[in-house]
Order: sequence, then structure tokens, then C-alpha cells
Amino acid sequence: MTKEPKIAIRNLYKIFGSDPQSVLPMVLDGMGKTELMEKHRHVLGLSDINVDIPPGETTVIMGLPGSGKSTLIRHLNRLIDPTSGEVLVNGENILDYDEKRLRQLRQHEMSMVFQKFALLPHRTVLQNAGMAPAVAGQSERAYAEEARKWLNRVGLEGQEQQYPHQLSGGMQQRVGIARALTSNSDIMLMDEAFSALDPLIRTDMQDLLIDLQAELHKTIVFITHDLDEALKLANHLVILKDGYVVQQGEPQDILLNPSDPYIEDFVSDINRARVLRVRSVMAKGEVDDAAVVGEIDANDMLESVIALSKGDTGLNYAVVEDGARVGTLHIKDLVRALVPADRPDEGERVA
Amino acid sequence: MPQSRDLTRGLEQGFLDIKDGLKVVVDPLTQPLSWALNEALWLMQATPWWIMIPVLMLITWAVSRSVKLAGFVALCFGFLAFIDFYDYTMQTLAIIFVCAFICVLFGVPIGIAMSRSDKVQRAMIPVLDMLQTLPPFVYLIPLIFLFSVTEPKLYGIAIILYAIVPVIRLTDLGIRLVDADVIEAADAFGMTKRQKLFGVQIPLALPNIMAGVNQTIMMSLAMVVIASLVSAPGLGVLVLRGIRSLELGVGLVSGLGIVLLTIILDRVTKAALARINASQN
Repeated sequence: MTKEPKIAIRNLYKIFGSDPQSVLPMVLDGMGKTELMEKHRHVLGLSDINVDIPPGETTVIMGLPGSGKSTLIRHLNRLIDPTSGEVLVNGENILDYDEKRLRQLRQHEMSMVFQKFALLPHRTVLQNAGMAPAVAGQSERAYAEEARKWLNRVGLEGQEQQYPHQLSGGMQQRVGIARALTSNSDIMLMDEAFSALDPLIRTDMQDLLIDLQAELHKTIVFITHDLDEALKLANHLVILKDGYVVQQGEPQDILLNPSDPYIEDFVSDINRARVLRVRSVMAKGEVDDAAVVGEIDANDMLESVIALSKGDTGLNYAVVEDGARVGTLHIKDLVRALVPADRPDEGERVA
Repeated sequence: MPQSRDLTRGLEQGFLDIKDGLKVVVDPLTQPLSWALNEALWLMQATPWWIMIPVLMLITWAVSRSVKLAGFVALCFGFLAFIDFYDYTMQTLAIIFVCAFICVLFGVPIGIAMSRSDKVQRAMIPVLDMLQTLPPFVYLIPLIFLFSVTEPKLYGIAIILYAIVPVIRLTDLGIRLVDADVIEAADAFGMTKRQKLFGVQIPLALPNIMAGVNQTIMMSLAMVVIASLVSAPGLGVLVLRGIRSLELGVGLVSGLGIVLLTIILDRVTKAALARINASQN
């Protein structure tokens, strides 16, 4: 990674139980989750997590329920303290922060969006959106303009004086997002932010987040158990299982080169045409002008290329990135990329 | 074998021995209660009825926003005045106001302390259980030894001890029931403990706290009759007269007066509670 990470998690361990420190050495020596539970009655929540979260991008941490992803995100603003390890934000270890500095971090540098919205039911939408400045001591009049701006931006014009219970779930989560944006923090933590919403509204909210991100370039850490959602939002994908990181990297890479049967299983049911982009499957290098029938962008989805080629597998396209031709896409390669590689049991499945 | 007589006599002797020392400490501490009760009794009786009843109606309207309820309050007090119970009713009301106010003043902070620490909660629960189940007459005995029967604080303390329990319990419960997700959000946005308590926990626990206040008022009304045994003025005195001299009419009508007062206070506090609930859910 070329850029300095905004948040760096280093050798993070979290053990739940009556005396986590006493069993930590054994975990560091490599004792597994099951053995730890059976012999010492402690739960290994997170094990040796090392993740760099790049600035201005969306990092999605994905895992099944119980994989420790919600625990992990709560370490980033120390709603949970680790048993061992470091969390560096802008190069500073936040575990060294005292209470006052930590509150400052939470008020100004990080904001959070919750699965169950967690709005204050006795405050208006406007007051909820202005929670961060209000906590920092600003009066409603002082933060109203900023809060209203973000409420309008997420599509809640004219709802300022409503109470949260008067809004639908999707609208409540919009307030949650406006609340995070009004804090003007660089970092947004989103804990299963869209999981409680209906599928259609979820898609709307994902699009809203993508729009906002294209405009604002926040450092977003997004937790989800939904692979489609993860692939849609992620610039950087971290897959968690049983408290350890199975694989992390660019989503395209993970999809094309799963490092582990667990991930192969995970990605096998995905509509790849809607996730993979041209640049991941093209052949890099000089373009043979005579062989190509047209130009496509490196960031186009395979789905749109299939539509363009009308399903003709004999065609080749020149791939353009930033105005220059960077490679060739053979539709044959495209088709091959649509099914997972190295799946010997694929034929048997059909039969 | 020691007999129960020895135990009771020992207890009595023990209490009498520490009585004087205890009195030196407790007497000045509780003196403001006597003043408050005396002042309230004086104020409620000195105010003419044509000011008092509109004021009570106004208070009712302010907390419940219901004209109907305010009218009902006026009707009840009008009836009690009509049968010449007005002064007794005002005395009872004055005692209830003072005692309920003090119950909230102490009960809410105690409840908050219980909600913040499991240790405090574990220590308090048996005390609260005892206060609630001890026959109310039993409080009176040691209090009579400590204070003179002519002092209002004697019955004031008895009423407060008996009635403070629900407001403590429900404050504790209310704060513990506040949605953990909302508390987490408050933490995630960097609230201090103080901001969390006054900005989130107490407002969200308010429906439960108000239910506790309602119960506290109901229990002080129950106790105010018993307290008339130790010279508490008000409708209780009439009830007592009914029992002592077997005046059936007086006993029944004054009992009805207490019922009316109970209904008024219950409806008004419940209407206030409903308004809080409506703004939250």
C-alpha cells in the first residue's frame, strides 16, 4: 500500500472471560479457540488481527455472525478495549489516550452509524443530527445550519422537527448517517448499518453511501455479513472468520484468487458479472488494433460488457484507462472469469 | 433458656441507651422537615378556597393539558368543601405534597446510585424490601421515642420511610432499562458520564420514574391515615374518630374523601406520565 494507513490495527487480540490476561500468553503461543474454551473457559474473540485501513476509501470487514466483526469495529473507537495489541489512528496509539483525549477522538475524529439506528427518542431529528456538536457544547442554534445541510443531503428536507419514532426505518438510518456526517469527522464507522433495512431500501442506502463517498472521501469502515453489499461498497475487503482474518485485499482479487476453501464457498454464489470489472480480467499490454471491435473502460462491470457484445464470445475489446489503451479484453476470458476457478466438483453438481 | 421477653426487653433497653445520642444527631437533621410541614400546612389553610382551587386546577392543566381533568379536580374539591371537609383535605394534601417532594428529592438520587453500581443495588434491595413489608405501625414506635408526638416530623418521617421505596426502585429499574444501543451511541459520540446521565438516561427513564412518583404518592396517602395516630392532621383524624367513637358516618365519609383525593392525585400523575410517554414512542 502506498498511502499511510489512516487506521492501523496491530497484533490485536481480544479474549472474553473472567481473567483474560492470565490466558493471553497461551493464546500468543498458538492455543486455538476450542482448546481455550475447553481448558480455560475463555472465549477467543479476536486473534492476531492486522489490518491497515487506507484513508479516503471504504474498507469493508465481512464475516458471518459470530466472526468478531462487531467486536473488531468497537476496538477502533475503544467502545471495547483489546486484551493485547495496538490501534493506531493517524499514527497515534489510541490505547494510550486518557479519557478526555478519547472523548475528543470520538467527538471530532470518528463517528459511528449503528445497526439499530440508536437515535435519541426524546430529541428531534435536528437535535439527533447535531449530536456530535451538541456533545462538544454547541447550542442548537450554532449547529443547526450544519445539521440541516447534512439532513438535506441525505434526503430529509423538512423533517427536522419530527421525532425519530415518526420516521420509517430507512429514514431513521438516514438521520443516523446525517448525525455521523455532521460531526465532520474523517472516519466513519458503520456497524451493519443497513442490515436492519428492507432489501429495496438497503439498495437505496448503499447508493446514497456510494454517492456521498464519491463526494466526501471519508475513511469508512463498514461491517456487514452480506457479501453482495461488501463487494458493492468495498475498495478494500477484509474477511473475518472465527476471530481471525482469512483474507484481505482488493475485492476483485479476493473473488478471482480466493486463498482458502472458506472464501471459495463464500464467493461461489455471487453474480460475478455484476462485481468484477474489466481491469481484473483483461490481458495487459499492447493492443492489436486490427483485432478489437471497440473500446471499453477499465472500470466497467463485466455485466455491461456482456450486454455490449450481445453475447458474442469471439469479440475482443480495447481497454481504456485514463485515456490510454492499457490492454485487451477477450470475451472468452470474460466468460471463463464468470465461474469460479479450480472447481472440479462443478460438473458433478450439475449432474 | 432466654425467653422472648428477655430479647424484647434487651432491645428496648439498648434503644433507650442510644436514644439520647441518636437524638442529638437526628433531631437537627430532620428539623427542616418539621418546618416544611408546618409552613405547608399553614399555607394551604391560609390560602382562601377561591384562590386554592383555581391554582390546583391550573397545576392539573399544566401537567396534563386536559381541561376535563382540571374540571374534575374542581368538582371533587368543591364536593369536599360542600360537606365541610375542605380544611381537612387541605391538611392532608399539604402533608402529601411535602412528603412526596422529599421522597423524590432523595429517592431519585438513591435510585441513580443503585443503577450505576451493582454493589449499591445489592446492598439497598434488602433495605427497600424491609421498608416496604414492615407493618407501618412499627416505624412509629421508635420514632415516638425519638421525637415528641407534637412534632410534625414524627409523622413526616414515617410517611417518607414508607412511601420512598417505589420511586427508588423504579428509578433504578428505569435507568437500567434504557436501551443499551442508545447508551452505546452516546459513548461513541464522546458524551461524558454527566451528559449521558442528564441527556440520555434520566430522560429515557422518565416514564418509569414518573410511575414511581405515582406509586409514592399513593403510598403516602395510605400512610397518612396511620400517621394520624401520632397527631398528623387531616382526613386521617376523621377516620380515626370514626373508629374510636364508632361514628359510622364520619368514618365512611372521610374514607370517601381520601378515596377522592387518591383518585385525583392518581389521575393527574398518570396523565402527566401519558404525556411523557406520548412524546417518546
